[in-house]
Amino acid sequence: MFAAWNPSQPEVSDLIIQHDPVTLERLPVRKDAVRSVFVQSGNHQAVRVIDALPERNGILDPAAIDRLFVITHSEMQRLAEEFYHGGRVWELLQPVIAAIRATKAPGSDRLRIVDIGCGIGYTIRWLAACTPLAAQGVDLVGMDLNSTLIREASRLARAENLPCRFVHGDAFSPANSGHIYLSTGVLHHFRGDDLANFFRRHELPETQAFLYYDFQPSFLAGPGSWFFHMVRMRTALARHDGVLSALRVHSAETLVVAARSASPGFASGMYGRRIWRTPLPRVFHTLIGLRRPLSPEFRRALRHRIGRLDELA
Amino acid sequence: MTLVVLYLLATVDGALCGFRAFAGRSALIHKRAYYSRALLIGAVAAQIASFFSLAVLLLAVVFSSHRAELRGDLESAAGRMLWVFLPYAAAVLFNLALRALPSTDIRAATSVMVLGPLSGLRPFVMIAGVLYGIRSSLLTETKLLGFFVLATMLLLESFLSRIASRRQLRELASAN
Repeated sequence: MFAAWNPSQPEVSDLIIQHDPVTLERLPVRKDAVRSVFVQSGNHQAVRVIDALPERNGILDPAAIDRLFVITHSEMQRLAEEFYHGGRVWELLQPVIAAIRATKAPGSDRLRIVDIGCGIGYTIRWLAACTPLAAQGVDLVGMDLNSTLIREASRLARAENLPCRFVHGDAFSPANSGHIYLSTGVLHHFRGDDLANFFRRHELPETQAFLYYDFQPSFLAGPGSWFFHMVRMRTALARHDGVLSALRVHSAETLVVAARSASPGFASGMYGRRIWRTPLPRVFHTLIGLRRPLSPEFRRALRHRIGRLDELA
Repeated sequence: MTLVVLYLLATVDGALCGFRAFAGRSALIHKRAYYSRALLIGAVAAQIASFFSLAVLLLAVVFSSHRAELRGDLESAAGRMLWVFLPYAAAVLFNLALRALPSTDIRAATSVMVLGPLSGLRPFVMIAGVLYGIRSSLLTETKLLGFFVLATMLLLESFLSRIASRRQLRELASAN
């Protein structure tokens, strides 16, 4: 295996921005400390990415890193647009919302949808721009621990006058908790016990559902992702991390086991793993979790798409 | 006629290069105007490249001691290039047309499985087309002109990328 494809290592972007876990304040990052992680794993591609990053007295230049993150996330948005990601989220959100409203579950009158690790907020901004959710009074919120990305998401929303908001903070805190949680490409960042801990945090009284999208592991993920990133992405960081993230993803089984054991209040399962009824895997699959009373109404609301849903348990 | 078809293909190629150069550099949701401008910039850049190619071609013909022979040689080389460029263009345009279908899976599949690989193949198709065109040319002038056109086509996308990158950095700087 190529050293850059070793899924046991972190992504470069996981290390070059660090925040205090309590105050969320940005912390200085030593370039040589990040570099040594990839030197040890023999990942020369990552070392080259890090070597090219500007520094001041051995500390990575925060302004340059911020600019790089915004550029990289804009490139990632292009991929989301090519995959029609907004439409895919909307396809599943509709039956979830229908089930919440039909059962008069908490939030049925004033829903809050929270996108965890929203980056520059593509999904939330797309929902605000292209669906009637905001007009129906649904609160669309994007959250991220990276303040730069949140600033950029807010700027972009303002530029198009979109009815949504972005918050720098913890998505499960009492002030920010949601009735429906979304995320895209975030789950694989939680490794080991962190994955179970993440699901454990969903057991909030108001939370009714979660829809988590991530790459689906397959034999095509490595070479396919490499080729697509070479063709579509420009920054060395995006090319490295994009491929590695497609290889670090959790299997459907890992996700379902973690969700069912750590958030037993939800019926959870996978959605949309195959293209139509063929054995071909979709690039993204979705882990869906619903409060158990919502399940029958959700299935009804899915209509002809019910075939895309695996077992919810 | 052959030159007109090549010119039209160069214009479409330039417009699509413009699209690719600007894609992924604006994170707005509504980007119709942005992409229209990108297509236009690409098409205009293709006009400039075509103009230079035509100017060099005309100069070569004017100063040639065997004009009729060169003209014939150039036309047959251009005709052979179309055997490579036309199927490629047809594949690209057909898959772009497929994106009009109201299926997210089909639309996404055209990107992942066809348009992505086809844009990756573009430089190789350009090289193959020109080499095939000048392969059995009789005159050195034709071969040199072929390489000139090839260089222009290959430089077009990186030239447009540079413009798009500068614009993006300027916009980011003004936003902060």
